Amino acid sequence: MNSPHERCSVVTGIGVIAPNGANTEAFWKATKEGISVLDTVTREGCEELPLKVAGEVRDFDPGELIEERFLVQTDRFTHFAMAAANLALDDALLGRADYNRSPFAVGVVTAAGSGGGEFGQRELQHLWGQGSRHVGPYQSIAWFYAASTGQISIRGGFKGPCGVVASDEAGGLDALAHATRTIRRGTAAVVVGAAEAPLAPYSVVCQLGYEDLSRCVEPDRAYRPFTDAACGFVPAEGGAMLVVEERTAAEERGSRPRAVLAGHAATFTGAALWEQSREGLARAIEGALADAGCAPEEIDVVFADALGVPAADRAEALALADALGRHASEVPVTAPKTGIGRAYCGAPVLDIAAAVLSMEGSVVPPTPNVVDVTVDLDVVTGKSRPAELQTALVLSRGLMGSNAAMVLRRCEKSPS
Amino acid sequence: MTAQLTLDELAALMKSAAGLTVDPEEMANRPEVTFAEYGLDSLGLLGIVGELENRYERSLPPDAERAKTPHDFLDLVNTDTVTTTGA
Repeated sequence: MNSPHERCSVVTGIGVIAPNGANTEAFWKATKEGISVLDTVTREGCEELPLKVAGEVRDFDPGELIEERFLVQTDRFTHFAMAAANLALDDALLGRADYNRSPFAVGVVTAAGSGGGEFGQRELQHLWGQGSRHVGPYQSIAWFYAASTGQISIRGGFKGPCGVVASDEAGGLDALAHATRTIRRGTAAVVVGAAEAPLAPYSVVCQLGYEDLSRCVEPDRAYRPFTDAACGFVPAEGGAMLVVEERTAAEERGSRPRAVLAGHAATFTGAALWEQSREGLARAIEGALADAGCAPEEIDVVFADALGVPAADRAEALALADALGRHASEVPVTAPKTGIGRAYCGAPVLDIAAAVLSMEGSVVPPTPNVVDVTVDLDVVTGKSRPAELQTALVLSRGLMGSNAAMVLRRCEKSPS
Repeated sequence: MTAQLTLDELAALMKSAAGLTVDPEEMANRPEVTFAEYGLDSLGLLGIVGELENRYERSLPPDAERAKTPHDFLDLVNTDTVTTTGA
């Protein structure tokens, strides 16, 4: 992705709305300290459902962050995305003055796993409870996968290439790859990422069919990948948005390139076929390394998918061994998502955010709630581990069979 | 009794259906200002039409959802021959 003649994509802004923090600083502090915020589900209408533990975003008031005219026509997943996008734009110091004269230079890409379930449920209840005349017209846009991309674009006045990636949970990484391709074709900046809100009653009921969903009722035992106690995954809401810019353009306007999106590859191996995901994930890792021009030994930290299903965890450990060789058992591996849950497409973007912050802070955050690792990986547990990090590998798999890998490189400080 | 939609009621509907805060006096004093200029998009106007249809328990004329200004909209709604309701 970053050969000398190609336009190179760098992260210049990070915005996070996560269960462990409704801004990037709070998220990173809790992540670094390995604090688990998994807890009993309290969302109205969900209390009696058999999903008992989740990662809820509780410290978030959309009315404080988003104008009412956007609130009435959007679902919670879009509220998260819009709020995270604003944080990312502020972090990148990218304001209207920067693109007012060239609004077509900024695009928007999001990934989405399920769209706007809460909004959709409310309007469908109006449909069956009161009749079709009581369904509001904004239903037609609010529950779409595309809603967050559209609203971020409208709100910010971004007229560059826009898109939505619907490729399962790993789509969070695929969206970032889409942004790098968009930048390679000439766009200066892309607001990119994913946020999800899967904890409305309708959305939870949809997930109850997933065999891999943890039914454990104890928050500290519900999501423990890479151990004999693994019993599935815990879902979460929230996500992250990034500002990704062409490196030279970013430097010219005085912003700070923080990490290069250096390489990506994606494969598909079929829904819930976790043994087969070994080969798919290994191929994705190899592809991402090749794309980045990166040797396996250069990887300083791995942010694992860490599904929490024994067959999937084994497949992931084997995929790392297949792709990285001996280095797989030596490189630090972490899965901070065990402290917040898996926010579907938002999960790998949160891992990208954590990877950038880890490289900047020279520290590998731990994997909360995980002890007694039983795979041949150096999983960082307990507390964070200091380490000089130049290159990170982020992995993601979806329940429907997608696998993706992304290589990030830390940016050297620009010569200023 | 004839239900006449007022600018006050329209402003309240723009608030509830589309999240817009619009001063009814401004709508009265500046009749040329369009819904679009107030930030109301076509789906927002459709929501207001739907709300009024539920309230009046009848259909509004098809042109209502295509009205460009608050005054055009009031003219259409209030001169419609079947505006009379028992409300």
